[in-house]
Amino acid sequence: MLKPAERGFFVGYFKKVPTDVRALMIGFIVFFVAGMASASVLLSLNTDSPGAGSYADELHGEHLIGTMETSPYPVLRVPATGSRPARAIMLAGSGKFGVDDRALPLAGKAAQVGGVFVKRGDLEMLLIGGGDDLKAAEPQAVALPNPSPSESLGRWRLTGEICDGKCGGGAMKPGTGLAHKACANLCINGGVPPVFVSTAPVEGHIFFLLSSANGGPMPARLLDKTGAPIVLEGTIERRDDLLIFKVDGFADGAGA
Amino acid sequence: MSVSYKPVIWNRSKMIYDGVLLAGIAIYILIFLKVGPVLSPALRDVDLPTQRMRAFGSLALLMLTIVLAIGPLARIDTRFIPLLYNRRHFGVMTAIVAATHAYYVLGWYFSYSPTPQLTALFTSNTSFTSVAGFPFELFGVFALIILAVLAVTSHDFWLSFLTPPLWKAIHMSVYLAYASIILHVALGALLDRRDLALGFLSLGGLTLLCVLHLMAGRRETASDHAASAKAPEEPWIVVGDLSEIAEGRAIIGASPGGERIAVFRSKGGLSAVSNVCSHQNGPIGEGKVVLGFITCPWHGYQYRPEDGCSPPPFRERIRKYRVRLQGSTVVVDPQPLPLGTKLDPVAIPAELLPPTPKKEGTA
Ligand code: HEM
Ligand code: FES
Repeated sequence: MLKPAERGFFVGYFKKVPTDVRALMIGFIVFFVAGMASASVLLSLNTDSPGAGSYADELHGEHLIGTMETSPYPVLRVPATGSRPARAIMLAGSGKFGVDDRALPLAGKAAQVGGVFVKRGDLEMLLIGGGDDLKAAEPQAVALPNPSPSESLGRWRLTGEICDGKCGGGAMKPGTGLAHKACANLCINGGVPPVFVSTAPVEGHIFFLLSSANGGPMPARLLDKTGAPIVLEGTIERRDDLLIFKVDGFADGAGA
Repeated sequence: MSVSYKPVIWNRSKMIYDGVLLAGIAIYILIFLKVGPVLSPALRDVDLPTQRMRAFGSLALLMLTIVLAIGPLARIDTRFIPLLYNRRHFGVMTAIVAATHAYYVLGWYFSYSPTPQLTALFTSNTSFTSVAGFPFELFGVFALIILAVLAVTSHDFWLSFLTPPLWKAIHMSVYLAYASIILHVALGALLDRRDLALGFLSLGGLTLLCVLHLMAGRRETASDHAASAKAPEEPWIVVGDLSEIAEGRAIIGASPGGERIAVFRSKGGLSAVSNVCSHQNGPIGEGKVVLGFITCPWHGYQYRPEDGCSPPPFRERIRKYRVRLQGSTVVVDPQPLPLGTKLDPVAIPAELLPPTPKKEGTA
C-alpha cells in the first residue's frame, strides 16, 4: 500500500545522504565540472585573430625632425632622407590622449618628436611619450625643406569602418569592431586621430586619416558611426605617404 | 529541540557545494586564460585584458544560465532539490564573477582617457537609435546592478526584514537581469564577432531555460486545474486515499480557490497544512516528517504538525486545515484556520494501519 521505491529525502543540513540523492549529486558534480571545462575550451577557442598590428620601437630613443601640421590632426612631415621618401606621420599621445595641445604651438614649425610606433599594414602612428618627446627642433634655424603640397586624388565612395588610429593600429587587440566602439569614441574624443579602414584599397592604401570636408577634424556626427560597417563619400588627398579622406556625406546622400 | 532543526549557516553540504562551485569557476578561468592561448594562436593575439573580460563575461553568463535552470529542474525532478539548498551562494558567486568582468572592461576600454571611467561608460557611445552600435554596455550595467542588489539581499536577514512576498518579488528581477544580459551579449559580442560558441551559450541557453520553465509551469498549472473533487459535505474536498500516503510523507490537494493543501501522515495521525512554505514558498507537501517535524524539502524549515508553527526560537508559521477520514478517504476543509491554531492530528483507526508501520525518516 505504500508508494513503491520511495525517493530519498535530503535537506542540506542532514548528516546522512540517501543513496539515490548521493548518486545523482555525484553524477551532477562530475557533469558540472566536466561541463565547465568543455564550455571554457569551446568559448576560448572560438576567437578570430585581431590581426597583426603591434607596437614597434623603431626610433630606439632617437628623434624624428619634421614640420608640424595640426590640421585635421597633428601630423609630422618628415622630409626625405637618402633612399627614404618623405613621410607624413600621424601623432597621438599615451593612453586615450591626442597631442593637439602640445602640437598647436608648433604649428608650421620644425618639431623634434620621439616615441613608439603602432603599425598595421599601411597604418602607422607615432605615440609620443611625456615632456621631451615633443618639442621645437633645436636650432630652428636648420631649414627644413617645405613639405610638398597635398595632392588631390578626387572623389571617392568608400566602404569600411571608422576606428581610432591608435587601437586600430594595434595598441589594443582587437582595436576595431562594435565591442570596441565606446573605447574608440573615447580615443577620438580625447584627440587620437581617427582613421577609416576601407574594404578596398585606394592607391595601395586601406587606411585613411579622417577629416571633415573642409580639412578640419572628423565631424562629431560620425562618432555615431564608428565600429560598424559604413559607406562614406568624400575627397581623398595625399600628403607624402598619408592619405586623408575628407568626408562630406553618407552614401545615401545625407551630409556628414 | 532537535539539533537537526536549525538550518545552520555552515555545514558539510554547503562546504561541498561551495567547493564544487569554486572548483568549477577556477577550472573555467584557468582553462580559458592558460590553456586557451596555448591551443589557439588567434586567442594568443588578443590582448590579456580582453581575454580576461571575455573569460569572466562568458563565465557569468554560463553561471546565470545554470542558476536559473535549478529552480525548474527541482520542480521537474525532486532529486535536484539539493542544488536549491545553497543556490544563494551560486547567485552571489555569479554576481562576483560578473563584477570581475565589468572591472576588467572598465579598466581597459574605459580607462587611460581624459574622461573619468564612469562618465566614459555612460557618455562615450550615444548611438541609441541604431541596433549595430547601440551602447550594449548599458544592458550589462543594468544587469550588474540587479545582480548586486540580489546578492546583497540574499541573506535570510533580508528575507525576514523585507517579508517573504516583497523579497520574492525583488528576487524575481533576476529574470530581468537575464534578459538584459542576453541583449548585452546579442548587441555586443554576438553582433561584433558572430561567435558560434557564444551564440550557442546565449541563445541556446535562453531556449533551454524557456523549455525548462514551460515544462515546470505546465506541471504546476496541470495540478492547479486538477482541483480536488468535492466531498459530499460542503465545503470539504477529497484529497485522496489514505493508502496513497506513505509514513512521514504527504499528499497534496487543491482547494477550489487553487490554494494547495498538504496532508501529512505521521505516527498514526493525519495533519493538513498549507503546501506553501513561509520561507521561500517551497512545496512543503513534497517534504517529510523528520523527528516529528514537517520539513520543507527546499531548505529544511520545520513546522509542528499540530499547529504549523516552527519550534522556538523560530517564528515561521503555516496555516492548518481541518482534516477527516471517511472510510479510507482523506477529506479536508479548504477554509484555512487562523495562523497558530492548534489541532491534534486525526488518529488513523487501527484497522487502516499497516501491520508493520514503516520507520520514520531519519535526519
Ligand atoms: C558594468 C557592467 C558591464 C559592462 C560595462 C560590460 C561590458 C562589456 C563589453 C565592453 C563587452 C565586450 C567585450 C569584448 O568582446 O571585447 C562585454 C562582453 C560580454 N559581457 Fe559584459 N559588461 C557588463 C556586465 C556584464 C554582466 C553582468 C554579464 C553577465 C552576467 C556580462 C556578460 C558578458 C558576456 C557573456 C560578454 C561576451 C564575452 C565575449 O566577448 O566572449 N556583462 N561586456
Ligand atoms: S522554502 Fe526554504 S525551507 Fe521551505
